[in-house]
Order: sequence, then C-alpha cells, then structure tokens
Amino acid sequence: MSDPYRVLGVSPNATDADVKAAYHKLAKKYHPDNYADSPLADLASEKMKEINEAYDEIVKQRKGRTSSPPYGSYGTGSYSTGTGNSDYMDVRELIMQGRIVDAEQILDGVPSDRRNAEWYFLKGNILYRRGWLEEAFADFTRACQMDPTNAEYRAAYTQATNQRRGMYGGYGPSPRQTGWCDGCDVCTTLCAANLCCDCFSGISPCC
Amino acid sequence: MFGYVQPQKSELLVREFEEYRGIYCALCRRLGKDYGFPARFFLNYDSTFFVVLLLSLSGECPRFAKGRCVVNPLKRCVFCEGSDQELGIAAALTVILSYYKLKDNISDSAMRKRLAYFLLLPIVSHARRHAAERYPELDKSAGRMMKRQTEIEHSEFFGIDRCAEPTADMVADILEMPVQEIFGRGSPEDRVSRQFGYYLGRWIYLIDAADDLEDDIRSGSFNPFRIKFSLNSKSTPEDIQNARGYAREVLNATMARMTAAANLIDFQNCLGGIVQNVIFKGLPEMQKDRLHEKERRNVRPL
Repeated sequence: MSDPYRVLGVSPNATDADVKAAYHKLAKKYHPDNYADSPLADLASEKMKEINEAYDEIVKQRKGRTSSPPYGSYGTGSYSTGTGNSDYMDVRELIMQGRIVDAEQILDGVPSDRRNAEWYFLKGNILYRRGWLEEAFADFTRACQMDPTNAEYRAAYTQATNQRRGMYGGYGPSPRQTGWCDGCDVCTTLCAANLCCDCFSGISPCC
Repeated sequence: MFGYVQPQKSELLVREFEEYRGIYCALCRRLGKDYGFPARFFLNYDSTFFVVLLLSLSGECPRFAKGRCVVNPLKRCVFCEGSDQELGIAAALTVILSYYKLKDNISDSAMRKRLAYFLLLPIVSHARRHAAERYPELDKSAGRMMKRQTEIEHSEFFGIDRCAEPTADMVADILEMPVQEIFGRGSPEDRVSRQFGYYLGRWIYLIDAADDLEDDIRSGSFNPFRIKFSLNSKSTPEDIQNARGYAREVLNATMARMTAAANLIDFQNCLGGIVQNVIFKGLPEMQKDRLHEKERRNVRPL
C-alpha cells in the first residue's frame, strides 16, 4: 500500500486534527454524490476507497487500534440504484451496465402518452450522462412534477439544482471558501449578492 | 471563442506565473518557427492552457531558460525548453482553430469587416495547410465541428445542449489524441480527459454565446440564448437579464461536471497547480467577469 500520508496530502508530523481535516476535504471531493450518474463514478469510488484506507491506516498507526473513518459509508451507492417496483427494470439494468444507447432506444420506443414520471427520470438520467445537462434538468423537473413524493427523482432534481446554483463550481451566490468573494468590502459583496439573486426590485445597488 | 480559458493571475504563485509565461512565450516562438512570423499573432491563452495541461500529465517538469522576446526585443523573458511534442501539437491547433474561426467570421460578418478578414485569409490558410499535413486528425475534428455547427445553426432549434455539442466533442477529441498516446486507449486518464474535454468545450461554447448575447441581438446573428428567450432588438434589459441568469445556471452545471472530472486527474509535476488554478479559479472568475461585471457596467443604478 502506498504511503497513507501521501494519499491524504499531509506530512507525517501533522496533528490528528490536520489529518482529519485533510480526510474530510478529500472525502467531500470524491463523494459519490458528486459522481452520481457520471461515467467516471467507478474511478471516484476507487479514489474514495484509497482515501478511506489511508485514513484508517493512519488512525491505526497512531492509536494502535482500528477505527472506522467518520464517513464509513462513503464510497458505495448513489441514488440511481433503483427502486423495488419499477416499470423500467430493463432500462435501469442497461443504464447500470453503461449501455446508454440501448437504454435510450427502449425509452424512445415508449409512446408519448404512456410516459410516466419514471420515464422522465430515466431519460433525464441518460441525457445527464451524455452531458446534455439542460434537457436532463428539464426531464428531472418533469419527473418531480408528475410524482412529487418520489425521493429518487427529488434527489436527482436537487443535485442538478445545486449544481446550477454554483455549489460545485462556477460562480454563484452561495459563498465558498476560496477567495473569489471573500468580502473585500461589504459594498461589493452586497452588490454581488444583489446581482446573483436577481433581486433588483428590493434594494438598489449601492455602487 | 478564444481567450476564455485563463488563469486567475492574482492566485498564481510567482513561480507558476513565470512558468506559465515561459510556456506562453515558447508557444509563440514555436508558432513563428513552424508557420512563419505572422502565425505568432494567433497566439492565445487557450492553446497555452492546452500545452500546460499536456505537460502536467506527461511526467517530467520542463526546463526553463532565459531569452529575449522576438516581438519586443527589449523585453527579457523565460522560455520553456524541450517539450517539442506538446508545443508542436498546440501550435498546429492554434493555427487550425484560427483558420476556422476566420472562415466563420467571414460568413457571419458585415461587408466591410468581411473584406478585412478576406485579406487575412491567404496567410492563415497557408499556415493551416501545413498544420493539417502534420496533424490531419486535428484538422479533421475542427472541420467536423464547423460543419456540424453550421448545420445546427441552419436547422430548427433543438435546445442548448445540441448547440454546444460540436464544440464540446471537438475539445474532447483534441485532448484525446495526445492523452491516448501517453496512457493508452480506454485508460482511466483517457476516460477522465474525454469527460473533462467535453465539459470544457461545452463551457467555452456557452460562455462565448453568453458573452456575445447583446451583439448577436443587435446583429440578429445565431445565438442559442437569444433563440431560447426569443430576444430581439425590442427586448427590455430585464429580458436580457433573465437570459443571463439562465446562462449562469447552465455554466455552473457545466462547471460542476468539469470539476468532478478534473478532481480525478493525477498531475505528475509542478504544472498541476496552474491547471488547477485555471479550472477552479480562472474559469469561475471569467464567468463572473463576463456575466456579472459586464452586467454591472451596463445596467444603470435604479
């Protein structure tokens, strides 16, 4: 096994808190949620496993005993694992196997008056994998409208919405740690917030 | 289409800034050497990023040497040495993309501008012919992109995803070739870089469209955001604002997928920091500048 400290990117002299912080940061980066429906999910989960093992190893070395990482469940599962009673078991199976073209062919064969919430969810799923993010988002939205109680559809919709808001990169109103908007002055920050929220009607920009 | 992929200078280390400059200057020199002096004027940040990215994957850190700028001999600069392969392919890419961009400008512009572009054409096509001889796949994938783009612009509007796809596929193709050469077809690096390239291309197409929105409304040129929101010269600033807000969301969604792929790239040397700067800071900064600062410049206080 490679050096666990190198995997986490910390020095062997780092404090326990530093190790934990580095672990948390990496675990967040490679969290399965970030790779849900991505063709790269397997690579991310390998990375996640590596990080979990490295953290385990360090904890073991330091305390002389085994302890499971705080995110023990990381690295497995995502919301697309399927539900019990599905109308499209075959399509889900094909998607899991990465046979996207075949899956889409079956979906497209369904006449438009028989397309239910799950149909839109799965279609969105396929489009999302292909990188057609706008149409995928429209389909997730539609699936949620048709079946507002379904947690699986809701999760896909929420994830896409968060991505659009800039929580995972890009530029958006929610502040992140890096210094793109660390409030050089209150005025600019307010202005930026104002512009981002499209809330011109309320407060007038001060600069 | 050019100039959107840049590092955020203030966040680069001084060392990284010099390395970036060194690669920029080396690419300029290579353009001159391979395609004649005028080709140096096609130099752009996007191709420089391409070189940095390829070098950051290839293992060895390039060496740097001091020299003088050819365009401005009074200026001393640092040049990246070696890295022949990466610079060669990037120089060819620069020339090929400039050629297609010029062709596109000629078909899109008004008469007077068109004439100016026309005069440039012989120089560019000469250089492009040489580049295409050396790297036929590059020319082929750029040509395919242009053809698909034209088809899309002249057919019924089928949504933004479809409009962005030719550019996205082209960038993925361009990255694929050298990465496959190093790591092999179907390797994890190959898969990651294909995804990364796709979303980078998509992002470039979308920010270019969002940035040109007002000009395209004025001139009536093709723009996916203009069509989606049915904007025309009578549209109010609020309508345009709406379209911009939407563009921001599309760009963010694209960035999310791009950064997920970028997090899986294993950088081999000192240049990884520059690549990360570009992806995680430079691109969001560019988005902010083109969508928000510009907005603020154009919108009068209430």
